[in-house]
Amino acid sequence: MFKTTFKIAWASLVRRRTRSVLLILMIAVSLWGLLFMEGIYDGMTEQMINNAIRSDSGHLSLFGEGYRLDPDLSKWVMDIDALDTFLASDTRVKSHVMRLKQDGLVATAHYSRGVAIFGVNLDEEEKHGKMAGYLHRGEFSFGKRDRGAIIGFKLAEKLQVRIGSKIILSAQDSQGEVSAAALKVIGILKTNNMSLDENAVFMSGKRMRKLLTAKDGVSQIAVILYDELNIPELQGDLKKEFPHLDVQRWDELYPALLQSRIMMEGFNLVTNLLIFCVAALGIFGVMLVSVLERLREFGIMLAIGTRFSQVSTIIFTESFCLGFIGFCLGSLIGFVTLYYFKINGLDLSVFSDAFEEFGMDAVTYAIIRPSYFIMALAAVFLATFFSVLFPLRILKKTKPIDAINTI
Amino acid sequence: MFLKLALRNIAAYKKRTIVTLLLTTITTGLLVFSTAWMDGSHQTMIKNAVEIYPGHIQITGKDFREKPSFDNLIFEAAIIQEKLSQIDGINYFASRFESFVLFSADEKAVGGMLTGIEPEQEKYLSRLASSLLKGEYLTQGDTNQVYIGHEFAKRLKIDLGDEVAFVGNGADYSFAADNLTVKGIFQTGLYGFDAGSAFIAKKYFDQIMAAENYATHFIVLPKRTEKAEELAVEISRVIGPDYQSASWNQIMADLVKAMQLDSLFGYITLGVIFIVIFFVIMIYTLLTVFARIHEIGILRAIGTTPQQILAMLLLESSLLALISVIIGGLIGGYFAYYFQLNPIVFSGYEEQFKQYGLAVSAMPTAFAPLVIFRDMLVMFVLSVLSTLYPIIKINQYRPVEAMRHV
Repeated sequence: MFKTTFKIAWASLVRRRTRSVLLILMIAVSLWGLLFMEGIYDGMTEQMINNAIRSDSGHLSLFGEGYRLDPDLSKWVMDIDALDTFLASDTRVKSHVMRLKQDGLVATAHYSRGVAIFGVNLDEEEKHGKMAGYLHRGEFSFGKRDRGAIIGFKLAEKLQVRIGSKIILSAQDSQGEVSAAALKVIGILKTNNMSLDENAVFMSGKRMRKLLTAKDGVSQIAVILYDELNIPELQGDLKKEFPHLDVQRWDELYPALLQSRIMMEGFNLVTNLLIFCVAALGIFGVMLVSVLERLREFGIMLAIGTRFSQVSTIIFTESFCLGFIGFCLGSLIGFVTLYYFKINGLDLSVFSDAFEEFGMDAVTYAIIRPSYFIMALAAVFLATFFSVLFPLRILKKTKPIDAINTI
Repeated sequence: MFLKLALRNIAAYKKRTIVTLLLTTITTGLLVFSTAWMDGSHQTMIKNAVEIYPGHIQITGKDFREKPSFDNLIFEAAIIQEKLSQIDGINYFASRFESFVLFSADEKAVGGMLTGIEPEQEKYLSRLASSLLKGEYLTQGDTNQVYIGHEFAKRLKIDLGDEVAFVGNGADYSFAADNLTVKGIFQTGLYGFDAGSAFIAKKYFDQIMAAENYATHFIVLPKRTEKAEELAVEISRVIGPDYQSASWNQIMADLVKAMQLDSLFGYITLGVIFIVIFFVIMIYTLLTVFARIHEIGILRAIGTTPQQILAMLLLESSLLALISVIIGGLIGGYFAYYFQLNPIVFSGYEEQFKQYGLAVSAMPTAFAPLVIFRDMLVMFVLSVLSTLYPIIKINQYRPVEAMRHV
């Protein structure tokens, strides 16, 4: 039975070839554009978030109570051992690192400016956030005897320093005195996390302890989890276990990034809706005309005993066929395009200065989520379904005799 | 004759008329408004960024912008001053001396920018004076009194009347240090700036930093800000090759480019939406034109030439496009105008703006008739183009074929 229905539907689609092809093309092209935008824009936001998580906040960050308001040495986290054991034994935690941080001044022979000095362990950072991947120039090391520093690329530009240049760091130590250290620039980082690129000097944690005369404690513990979904749960557990610590999620530390993500989702939804409303209008027009010009044909079918439900099935089948072919075609080219950009990345280096301004990577790797296709499929089917309802109503109102007698 | 026919046809095929009119109108309105919105928000962001501190035109030593070291200072500030005062297009100008030093209050030491400014002129060149939060702005004769950013004061844990010491390099690379008293606290809203800048009167600054007759920058406010670029070139000519004069679009090239990038993404999105819309217009034209295939066949049979039919059909779609483009342009233009007078406020997104160094949350649109006209023209051409394929296709039928077409 359905085979006949399908045959009839197919035959009438083929009869109006130009029209059908145009409609399928329209659906395919709009879908392709949508998928492309979604994948690329999501890729951009996720990359920004990912950069912040890898280079700074982790999924969760722990600070001493009140440290974020007043970043003072006295507010560092002191009971590291208990925390270390807890994090190391928790199965949700992928990795965690401890960092020292102090505001200070960096000076070259000609120039000086305020910076944030970080004391880190490079091996741990590499395991934690693959930090070496951010290396822009030079080496990912603090050199022999830990006398080297790695600095953000914008800072390097401003200070006019190159690999091998000497910089002098000064900062307040635990006694309230200003102490200084001379370091050699060994590496330059480009994390696209603006606050780091512009302000960060990384040095060996051990050496920084000496500089600050701070034997114990750390200023920040960044935690990366296996599964993003566990973040709130682990945050709760940590808060319970260490009530005197300040446990922050990445989106609490970088509210702007979360806003970008929400804004992007909203933006995608609106464009989706807009495009599918317009597309539905197109399908509606074609279906309406195709029903109207065949009123006579349908009249005859009804007169010889075809049930109305059968006729409407034919019309629905036509509409769904168009929608489905358009969807498949659009999804296919959309997927291929996104896959290409997922592997090769969309390189907009022409605008690299501008991307730096926004704190984004100049090469965007697209994201492909199954939800894109499911959403699109649902939207296409809804559009095809609703655009047939009105033509069907007209058909229903028409009496077979009248339909046959017209013209 | 054609016009009469076309008008009659437009009236007769209501469905196509309505859909085409509606879609083209909405599209034009959307484009006009989006352009106004993008241009407006970008102009606001740039204007803000320029006016808070950097200024419309900066004059520096020749290599200072590439190598901001004390070797590339303006060493003859008095001569520059004299030359600038002779240029006609300049409204106000003043010198600045920027240096990075380590500030230290009772228990805190933080690095930041200490700049010597000429308080009286600076009032007109930047928003420093108008961003006063507490206390007082500087005056020409002030000595060791500092005007400091709100977040910076917070970091140093100091308030009005408190003392703060600084250590830094003098212009001759000597060691410079002094005690300063907080005279005023400002907040521009630009977080990075408020958290790391302090200002003192340049006269006093010059004494402690050994910077007499030196400056890192001269800031110029043109009489007509839109002519900043031309003025910068003229200044360059007057002050000679030892100095560099750059307008805001050079100084803030990154920001300008970032805004272009933002527009690019905006246009990509609009482009995708437009493609779909014009597909729909094309489909509707196809449907109506083919619904009239008998009529066209008969017209051909009684001697109408294909050119005449083409002209008639094109006239129809052009008329439709024209009407909707005008309506759409008016609607979009109205919204652009309305939101220029009543800027859209993004109260929830300050965080994000702050991250991009933008101290605004109210975004007016830019109402520019010429741009609106350009958008309308683009839409008109696109709309007519999208009807071209069906029109040409139907003209390829032979009269008999057309009349018998089912």
